[in-house]
Amino acid sequence: MNYPVWDVPILGSAWVIGAIASFHVLVSHFAIGGGFYLPMAERKALREGRADWLEVIKSHSRFFMVLTAAFGTVTGVGIWFAIGLGSSEGTSTLIHNFVFGWAIEYTFFLIEVTSAMVYYYTWGRVSDRMHLTIGWIYAGSAWLSLVIINGILTFMLTPGSAWLAVAGTGEEASRFWQAFFNPTYFPSLLLRTCICITLAGIWAFITMSRIDGARQPQLKTDVMRWTAKWLIPSFVLLPLCFAWYLYSIPEASRGLLELGVKTMGQGVFTQVTRAALVTVITSATICVIVYLLAWRSALDFKFGHACALLLLAMAATASTEYTREMLRKPYVINQHMFSNGTRKSQVDAFNRDGYLTRSPWVRPEERALWQSGDSADPKVQAAHMARGELMFRGQCMSCHTVDGYRSMRRFLETRDRQAIGNILTVLHEYKDDSPYKKFMPPLTGLPEEITALGDYLNQLVHGADAKKAPAPAPVVPVPAAK
Amino acid sequence: MAKSSLPGFDAIPFGRLYDWLDERVGVKEVVEFAKKKVVPEHSQSFWYYWGGMSIFFFTVQLVSGILLLVYYRPGEGAYDSVRQLVYEIDFGWLIRSVHSWAANLMVFSVFVHMFSTFFMKAYRGPREFGWWSGLGLLGMVTLFGFSGYLLPMDELAFFATKVGLEIPKNMPGMRPLIENIVQGGPDVSSVTIQRFFALHVVILPLMFLPLLTFHLWMVMKHGNAVPQSEELKPASQRRTVPFFPNFFIKDLAMWLIALNVLAILAAMYPWPLGVQADPLASAPEGIHPEWYFMNQFELLKILGRILPGMAGEIGGVLMFTLGGVLWGLVPLFDTSSKFGSRARIATWFGFMVIASLIALTVLGYYEVVVTKS
Repeated sequence: MNYPVWDVPILGSAWVIGAIASFHVLVSHFAIGGGFYLPMAERKALREGRADWLEVIKSHSRFFMVLTAAFGTVTGVGIWFAIGLGSSEGTSTLIHNFVFGWAIEYTFFLIEVTSAMVYYYTWGRVSDRMHLTIGWIYAGSAWLSLVIINGILTFMLTPGSAWLAVAGTGEEASRFWQAFFNPTYFPSLLLRTCICITLAGIWAFITMSRIDGARQPQLKTDVMRWTAKWLIPSFVLLPLCFAWYLYSIPEASRGLLELGVKTMGQGVFTQVTRAALVTVITSATICVIVYLLAWRSALDFKFGHACALLLLAMAATASTEYTREMLRKPYVINQHMFSNGTRKSQVDAFNRDGYLTRSPWVRPEERALWQSGDSADPKVQAAHMARGELMFRGQCMSCHTVDGYRSMRRFLETRDRQAIGNILTVLHEYKDDSPYKKFMPPLTGLPEEITALGDYLNQLVHGADAKKAPAPAPVVPVPAAK
Repeated sequence: MAKSSLPGFDAIPFGRLYDWLDERVGVKEVVEFAKKKVVPEHSQSFWYYWGGMSIFFFTVQLVSGILLLVYYRPGEGAYDSVRQLVYEIDFGWLIRSVHSWAANLMVFSVFVHMFSTFFMKAYRGPREFGWWSGLGLLGMVTLFGFSGYLLPMDELAFFATKVGLEIPKNMPGMRPLIENIVQGGPDVSSVTIQRFFALHVVILPLMFLPLLTFHLWMVMKHGNAVPQSEELKPASQRRTVPFFPNFFIKDLAMWLIALNVLAILAAMYPWPLGVQADPLASAPEGIHPEWYFMNQFELLKILGRILPGMAGEIGGVLMFTLGGVLWGLVPLFDTSSKFGSRARIATWFGFMVIASLIALTVLGYYEVVVTKS
């Protein structure tokens, strides 16, 4: 517990990261796919001498520049703030390992943003050939930024044995390339490239839908149909990429999905399977709607239809990213760091010496009160509850909130102190057959820390009179974790 | 491949199938009729989808309801049968969840359809019967909701129905009628479930389907109304698209989106089943009806605080009734197609109704949250 905890009521910090990231992915992937769309559309229009089409592409490039350079950039910085606050330990590890990678990505990003602006502002001011070249420079730099960031994102699910062998030794950066080109790197790159191409088409519908079909029927039909074709590569390749990706992820993560599919009939299937289902459903719907509306009824395709497609794409993107995040459970960096920031290598030390022992967020006088045996003293009682709260903030709050998302009150409201203690014991023991082991980190700490957490949760759920109302607080038997 | 006479389906086997069917049952005549029908196209066309969307959700209700009937047992075993369906039968949870979510989405769609119709002044002559039949359908949809809510007989269903039935029971002379005919006894019991079940799966569908057919016939006969801004345009500047295939394809796409919303809600937020109702237990804190009854419930609570004794409830029921009657009589008040003062009054009346419904619903949920906390 080296960093302070970011308390986001109701939503939880994970959802803040998720909400920003979903929007960022939707825009940043468009920035990459759209980078190919613009010069390819321009080349086609130039070859066919379609001045009317060039006007539309110019209009689309303005929309593209504003959206990607403004919203894409702001949300990108937003992610940095959010992950820095919400998952500080994980972010710290990534920075220590990949600072060089991020520097490369930032370089490509600068070229990307600059060339997007140059591309828009040089319409009609430079030769056609030069303008197309600028477009291709944009496309190349945008895709290369994906090439870089993809290595960092996939690392978190599959860091690879080479990196894990040196994890925690201070020499992690020496395995930069092994960590970068990890087992899921290439399937993920192909998967994301397909998504970029699809999103280029979907976002282009926003501009194309605004063409007046009654005034320019030929233009609207042509651009709508050409844009609709951008979904074909994904339609064919995405299932194959997804299969390759699934084949490359760790067996335990695949097991989560398989378990979900097997238990679907009983309705108890895992969240990750539910989210994956949403991806499949919304992606299939996008294809059908593009066929029905954009291809078959191009002239009737309106701005509202384009927005509906975009909303579906947003649902598909958000659920895909959610699935990817959930597949890592209970880790934030697979086999190295749990989702609450505790490193796997720290578990034994925390159980032996205490989770809060080295925490810089505990005042010395508070520690003194913890050591006091006078449990009748109100100050000692308050300190005991404060200790439980610190445990809660450090070990639970990265995923749970008090009243909102994954609400602790809702989870525990039907349980008395004894039952809460039993759950904590199961989480602490972390046995192989534990039902929580697939998606929750171990609960670490000394027996008295875990008792304090149990008392705090009991009070949180059942109110200040908790000690009187439910069963009396038991002495929680806490065996040493294995 | 042979050229089909169905536009747009020349190069696919479906075209041949169409021709084969047409020779035998005359599909072409129906298609020709549908092609002659046109739908206005303007900036407010979005609202035309909501009637079709309501029918789509009704169809989902019909199909999922039939599947639920396979396992559901009205009467004493009602709760057990739903528990078995949710926890023991493969995909039973999904069918129940789809049924419950589709019911709520249908009510929502019907409300949106009604208000969009209202603000397009689609109640004016010659469309009055379309408006009145629509109101009848809305009433039945809410009755479907009320009767279906009790059927699982969990704690929430039992007490919400009990509270809901207490309101009409407190009207002068209504108690014996409700107890003998609707409730089947002095209190909500397994007999009530059987009566609500009969209402939900037999009586209401038998009334609903003919009225829906009549409503659709009215739409076919008089076509879609247009907003006043369109009415001002000369006929040559108004745009239309053929119902088939142009609007129909867009309708299909919207239904697909609606199906997505339904699938996401049903899979991500399965409809919960509470604990079995215990008639001897006290009602849980903050018991309240479904969202579409919340405004009436809240109004009754407010009037109950202001007026003494039963006057609050009686006053509240009289207010709903008066409001409903006024809403139904709007076509007789705002008859002119010009922009007269009556047209403006009707529009403001519509805004006032929406604002009241939203305000009372929000206030109702706020009070529930406060009560629970």
